[in-house]
Amino acid sequence: MEQIHVNMDVLLPAGYSEYVIDTQRDIELTFFAKEDSDVYIRIINAKKINIRTFAESNTNVAYLFWNAAKSEIHVDESHEVLANAHVTVAYGECNGAATMRNTFVALRQEGASALVTSASLVDCKKNYRMQVVNYAPHTYGDMKNYSVVLKTGELMIDAIGKVVKGARRSQSHQTSRALSFEKGVHATILPELLIDENDVNASHAMSIGRVDDDQLYYLMSRGLSVKQCTSLISTGYLMPITDTLNNEVLKEKLQEEMERKLNELC
Amino acid sequence: MKTLEIKNLHVEVEGKEILKGVDLTVNENEVHALMGPNGNGKSTLLAAIMGNPKYIVTEGSITYDGKNILEMPVNERSVAGLFLAMQYPQEIPGVTNSDFLRAAMNVRREQPISLFKFIKEMESTIKDLEMKEDLAHRFLNEGFSGGEKKRNEIVQMEMLKPTLSMLDEIDSGLDVDALRIVADALNKMKNETNMSMIVVSHYERFYQLIKPQFTHVLVNGKIVVEGGEELAEKIDQEGYDWIYQEYNVQPASEAQNNVRTVSTGIGTCAVRTAAESAGKK
Repeated sequence: MEQIHVNMDVLLPAGYSEYVIDTQRDIELTFFAKEDSDVYIRIINAKKINIRTFAESNTNVAYLFWNAAKSEIHVDESHEVLANAHVTVAYGECNGAATMRNTFVALRQEGASALVTSASLVDCKKNYRMQVVNYAPHTYGDMKNYSVVLKTGELMIDAIGKVVKGARRSQSHQTSRALSFEKGVHATILPELLIDENDVNASHAMSIGRVDDDQLYYLMSRGLSVKQCTSLISTGYLMPITDTLNNEVLKEKLQEEMERKLNELC
Repeated sequence: MKTLEIKNLHVEVEGKEILKGVDLTVNENEVHALMGPNGNGKSTLLAAIMGNPKYIVTEGSITYDGKNILEMPVNERSVAGLFLAMQYPQEIPGVTNSDFLRAAMNVRREQPISLFKFIKEMESTIKDLEMKEDLAHRFLNEGFSGGEKKRNEIVQMEMLKPTLSMLDEIDSGLDVDALRIVADALNKMKNETNMSMIVVSHYERFYQLIKPQFTHVLVNGKIVVEGGEELAEKIDQEGYDWIYQEYNVQPASEAQNNVRTVSTGIGTCAVRTAAESAGKK
């Protein structure tokens, strides 16, 4: 596990690697992937984080960003995906501090694909702007955002799929779901598709809903407290996002971290 | 001895009074049949005992084992030993049967149950109820058939070991074999743990299997007749008409509309009535 305290350019090793961002200052990081890599990045402390990643042609790269910060962070990310490379960017956002994140993914060359996913347990302000742009033909972009919004949470997701003219036979998809347990919870999801090419395949799905009173009553009638029900239902709602990670180590990391956070709800 | 005592219970749902003064006492190891035409308060009574927040108790008292359960939230009533097998069990996607049951078992224990012990218990219960082996890993009631949902209620009951079980039409949706499996499981629980039961069913067939010692008939929010097992049998054969006449009561739906008189017993076995009328032709 490598500690990152200052600005760095990182050439990712093949296989699995871990980084911890822990700094009192603003930080700029660049990750280059020339081989297949699975990267776990744990954010402990930082103010403004600026991240750029490059996936060389024919690489398969996955990043899991686990936010463990105790105070507000601002993240600006840009991911460049070259020909026939595949990049997965996963966010675990279950800490109790605000996040302002701007994610930009460029599917720069033919055959590039990217999947951006997030699992959020929201009890404060979480604001994500995600943009995946198909710049080249035969590119594939997908976003999956699953959120449980608690009473004090405020969720805002602006998910933008964009296909430029000439990026024919490209695909742009997105799914965003938010669940709450109480009335009067703030959750806004803006699914956007900006398509400038005729020959594409695009979709978006969105749902925001509250747990049914009858479901809560049913679980409680077996002895579970409201908090235990919240934990159980949230676990069931958010855990499927871990399936988007193909790497077993990353998947287990996300599962463990989320389980710990969700158990804290009880 | 744990006793459920209900006195002068009045219950409202969405501002409408459904129960209008119910008295009922259930002692340990007793089986009570609760009968009555549809829409006259049977499910309301069970839901009020369990503590469904939609059912508002406006008057009267319910105590269990000497404790005022009306002051307890639903989950505490469950831990106190009450269990309601629901008429329409909820589907909870994302939550597996095993995660849910383990959590529910752990709230009644000081030390969490070990995974090994839990799996053993779950496997033997699944076997008792003759359910599919993958039950533990399936999401709670999601995609279950009507009969599977009902049997899963009894799986939960066996695992949680309540001292008073309320069964709200647990027999509806069960085929003949499943009905016997469920009845066997109930009788076994009763014999092993002294569990008492309040059973709502329209069918004598189920009562024959679980043998209630007491029968209560709820009409328009009040218990109008009480008796032994023979009362359930008589209702099965004759319907409720004679009760309306003899005790000068009208069932809730009729009392409100006050338009048509009762021609057939509302609560009689629909299948049997259909079979009889087909036979007459």
